[in-house]
Amino acid sequence: MVRGSRVGVEISKSLTQILVCPLSKQPLRLCEKSNSLISDTIGVSFPIVEGIPCLVPRDGEIIETEDTPSDRKADETTQE
Amino acid sequence: MSVRMIARRLGSKLLPRFAPAATLHSHATSFGFKEVNEEEKSQLVGNVFTKVASNYDIMNDLMSGGLHRLWKDRLVSKLTPFPGMKHLDVAGGTGDVAFRILETINSGRAMDDTLEDNLQEETQIYVCDINPNMLNVGKKRAQERGLGNLGSLVWVEGDAEKLTFNDDSMDGYTIAFGIRNVTHIEKVLAEAYRVLKRGGRFLCLELSHVDTPIFKQLYDYYSFSVIPVVGELVAGDRDSYQYLVESVRRFPRQEVFASMIADAGFQQVEYENLVGGVVAIHSGLKI
Repeated sequence: MVRGSRVGVEISKSLTQILVCPLSKQPLRLCEKSNSLISDTIGVSFPIVEGIPCLVPRDGEIIETEDTPSDRKADETTQE
Repeated sequence: MSVRMIARRLGSKLLPRFAPAATLHSHATSFGFKEVNEEEKSQLVGNVFTKVASNYDIMNDLMSGGLHRLWKDRLVSKLTPFPGMKHLDVAGGTGDVAFRILETINSGRAMDDTLEDNLQEETQIYVCDINPNMLNVGKKRAQERGLGNLGSLVWVEGDAEKLTFNDDSMDGYTIAFGIRNVTHIEKVLAEAYRVLKRGGRFLCLELSHVDTPIFKQLYDYYSFSVIPVVGELVAGDRDSYQYLVESVRRFPRQEVFASMIADAGFQQVEYENLVGGVVAIHSGLKI
C-alpha cells in the first residue's frame, strides 16, 4: 500500500457510490487533491483521516471558495 | 433463554405506565443517572469512549467473564451472513461483530468455487462509529487478525443518528452495545430502517433489564459495587464504568424498546433474553 499523497485513493469507487452526505443524503464526490469527500449539494467537505472517511456532521467544513474549507462547521448552519 | 414474539398490533397493550415520548425525552437528557442537556450528551459519551477505547476489549472480557464473546456469536448467528452481502455494523468501533461476520462468510467458502470467490470479493462490512479512537483500535485489531488487507472491511466515522449511507443499501444492520449511548434512539432506528434494503434485518444486542428476584439483587450488586471498582483498578477510570452501569438502568425495558423498533417501521419485531435479561437481542425485518 502506498502511503502519503495516495492515501485518498484507498477510498474505492464502490464506496463513493454507497456513501452519501449525512446531512443532505445526496451523493459525495471524492476530491483527491484535498483528500476529502465533498457534498456539492450543501457545499461541505468531509476529511479522510488515515484512510477513514470522517462523516460525522460536525467533521464537515463549509467550502467558501473552490476546495477551500472555512472555519465554520457544517452543523452550525445546517437545519435539521 | 426465552424468545418473545411482539407483533406490531400488540404494541399498545405492552406499553407500560409512561408514554414513549417521555421515555425518549428522558433518554436524550440522561447521562447515566445524571440529567444533562441534549446537546451535551453526545460530547459526554464521546469523552467516555475516547477514554475507554484502549482498554475496551479487556474490560469487556473482565466484566462479562468472557460471556460477551458468546453473546456476539449469538448475534451474528441470527444474521445468516452470505458472500457478497453489504452489512453495516453501527457503533462497532473495535470490530468484534464485523470480524465475526466476515469470518463466518469466509469460513463458509467452498474450494475452487469461482462464483463464490467473486461474490466474496464483493462482500462489504461497513464499520461505523462516531469515535475515531475506537475505530483506530478496530483497524489495528483487524490487522492482527489477518483481516486488514482484504478490502471487505470498511471503516467509517459517522453518526448513528445521521448515517452516511444510501437508502436501501444494506442487507443487514447490527448495533451491539451501542444504542444505549445514543442521544435519540428513535433517530437511530429511523436511520437503520432507511439504509436497510427490503428484506433486510435489524439486530440489536444490548444490556437490558433483569426482573428475576434474587438474581436481580446479585446483578445490581455486581453492577454498582464491583464494576466501577474493576474499572478503577484496570483502567484507572471509575467514572466511565459508573456511567456504563447507570446507562443500562436508564435504557428502556425490553418490551418498550421492541415497540420503538416497531414504530420505526420494522415488522416481526421480537427479542431474546440472554442470561435472564442481562442482555437482550432485539430483531426486526424491513419488509
